[in-house]
Amino acid sequence: MSWLTSKLFSASSADSGARAPTIDSLVREQYGFVWRVLRGLGLAHDDADDAAQQVFMIAARKLDQIVPGSERSFVYGTALRVAKNAQRARARRREMLEDEREDAPEPSDRNPEQRAELARARALLVELLAQLPEKFQRVLILAELEQLEVPEIARLEGLPVGTAASRLRFARAQFRELVAGARARNPFAREP
Amino acid sequence: MKPDPIDELGARLFEAARREPVPERALERALFAAREARSTAENAVLPPRAALFGLAAAALVAGAALFLMYRGETVSRISAEPALSVRLDREPQPPSSNRNLTEPSPSVTTVAPPAPSAAPISPPPVHSAATSLSDELAALNTASSALRSGDAQAALSALDHYDRMKGQKMRAEATLLRVEALSRAGQADAASKLAAQFVEKNPESPLVDRARSFIVVGNKAGK
Repeated sequence: MSWLTSKLFSASSADSGARAPTIDSLVREQYGFVWRVLRGLGLAHDDADDAAQQVFMIAARKLDQIVPGSERSFVYGTALRVAKNAQRARARRREMLEDEREDAPEPSDRNPEQRAELARARALLVELLAQLPEKFQRVLILAELEQLEVPEIARLEGLPVGTAASRLRFARAQFRELVAGARARNPFAREP
Repeated sequence: MKPDPIDELGARLFEAARREPVPERALERALFAAREARSTAENAVLPPRAALFGLAAAALVAGAALFLMYRGETVSRISAEPALSVRLDREPQPPSSNRNLTEPSPSVTTVAPPAPSAAPISPPPVHSAATSLSDELAALNTASSALRSGDAQAALSALDHYDRMKGQKMRAEATLLRVEALSRAGQADAASKLAAQFVEKNPESPLVDRARSFIVVGNKAGK
């Protein structure tokens, strides 16, 4: 988008009430969403930090191209691309047996038992999601992790609402089957 | 209730994932990096009006030079700097993100001279105890502001102050600022060496492309 076009666009968007994003508003409002999506896609804690930073560096460079009101779409699309690169890099590290990064959770006030339970739950979730086609993974993350409604999922995925709804239905059905097969590894089950 | 509830265990798995706290420290780092990236982008891309102004100024200088040449005057009396400085003040354009590590990087041969600052930017007071993230951010913001105002020496001073802090969590960002400050201060070789070391130690850092843009060809290994 040229400078003139962006100026004209920002004028028209101001008329419609949407405000052009600033770096600070973009990062503060969308960071949590981006970071959770990256985690949902299977990135380890540190990898998700790095990838989220990269997403917002890209967004910062292209700030003039972000249509006011579509900030989440922009960072979502960018996050998917960055996640792919991060996953490829991780696969390379694994091939070279150099992947020493652990998926260490952020220190929290939870007790060790709770932390271990959450870590097991996360590992199982990532494992199950990884067995689904990517398009199913994405809609499940948006619906179940981010708890977005179907029209918003459709907008982010660039799909008609009906397609998004049916994709989510298939994704949930497949996920249910996978969960049923993993019931013996319920991370929340108490030891007898 | 949702029309297609995913199994209770499935729902609990997602709920556990939702409860994972978003790391505040990583957010602040991303915010700092995004501000820096924005600042670089704004300096690197001139809006059409400014570009036209620069072209017009260059044309005027060239026209004046030709006129004086025609009159037998010495061309060297005319400085082309006002028109050229628009280009030289720009930072090097970061390379594309898919550049291979072994691919030759563009050399940084044009280094803007350190511009005098209107007012000295003093670093925040030194903290000898363990440093908080906000202290680190304050020091790095001071360095960044100095750099943007053209005062590379003040930026280096602020970074020296940062280096004296204990338990730094934003070393990568500080190193990149130092690379840029050295480059702006006319120390392209030192900037290149530091950038090469950064790339070697942090090949997967989100900042690595920016670091590469400061590596002078032939100095890639940082020797």
